[in-house]
Amino acid sequence: MTHPLLPLELQIAACAMLIVFFGWVLYLVRFQRLSLRDSLLWLLSTGAVLVFALFPGLLQSLARALAVQVPSNALFALGIVYLTLNVLSLTIALANASTHTRRLAQECALLRVEIAEVRSEVRSRDGAAS
Amino acid sequence: MRALVIVPAWNEERDLPAVLAELRRVAPEWDVCVVDDGSSDRTAAVAREGGARVLRLPMNLGIGGAVQTGYLWARERGYEIAAQIDGDGQHDPQYLEAALGPIRAGTADLVIGSRYIGAGGFRSTALRRTGARYLSWFLRLRCGARVTDPTSGFRVAGPRAIELFAASYPSDYPEPEAIALAARGGLRVEEFPVVMRERRHGSSSIGPVRTVYYLIKVSLALLLLPAERRHKPEIAG
Repeated sequence: MTHPLLPLELQIAACAMLIVFFGWVLYLVRFQRLSLRDSLLWLLSTGAVLVFALFPGLLQSLARALAVQVPSNALFALGIVYLTLNVLSLTIALANASTHTRRLAQECALLRVEIAEVRSEVRSRDGAAS
Repeated sequence: MRALVIVPAWNEERDLPAVLAELRRVAPEWDVCVVDDGSSDRTAAVAREGGARVLRLPMNLGIGGAVQTGYLWARERGYEIAAQIDGDGQHDPQYLEAALGPIRAGTADLVIGSRYIGAGGFRSTALRRTGARYLSWFLRLRCGARVTDPTSGFRVAGPRAIELFAASYPSDYPEPEAIALAARGGLRVEEFPVVMRERRHGSSSIGPVRTVYYLIKVSLALLLLPAERRHKPEIAG
């Protein structure tokens, strides 16, 4: 299924890279370095790119539908959208994490005081007992 | 009514002792809690020596996160009143009693110390005065809050405001946004006249160049107020 748009060698290389990348993401999920929720966008978008690499004709019809003159430009545009989406989802995850960190730091400050109070209470009780 | 003064402090070992001594002298019936916002100097030790309860944050969260820690403490310990004053001596605690009036009378939930009503004292640069006027106009337009000094960090909160601020408080440059959140949450916001002093050491956290950046940032924050009350992860306590 060679295609004028994509020489076979390039197609094979692209697919191999995408599959390795896909597998890497799955590996990260399997070994709990990445939660399934956070990896979902990566898996979906990588899968979509893989489909385009397997069937470059799709890209050509897409380019035609969007009135893009050169199909590879449609590819670049899609690539940018793909990266932008993933970066945005990353920023959202980061914002969530920093909200949590802030709340945890505050909780630490409150707990420190609680511990100090319990400690001095215990100490004074021990003092009274002896 | 049980009342707490929250003093957010970041590397304030020089000015804090005087602030705490003045609080003890002028407002002895208020409990004082210093929020040490990840200081690298002796702020926490100095605060403890000054007889304050110290909430030590493990890292620097910025003024918003520090102040919120104080409100969380107020909620946790069942305080009905929580005031916040700066740790650098700008705010004179003698005004605390006067500020309590509207909250005791049940006519206000949040009372803000304004240097622009009444006379005298330190009023900052012309650019920042203009900025304050612009922000107060913007606040009234955006959420109907009538406040002449929206950047003032001298405030007294009643039970409803404590509840709101413990649950959600903006993080950087939080003062005007906190007023907007309060007004949007149906809280009654009032002002009382204060005379502010010039800080003794150090310079304002916001220099002349950054004032414009500050105004843009705060305007955006006010425009994009959260659609509902922000959902913060609540940790049962």
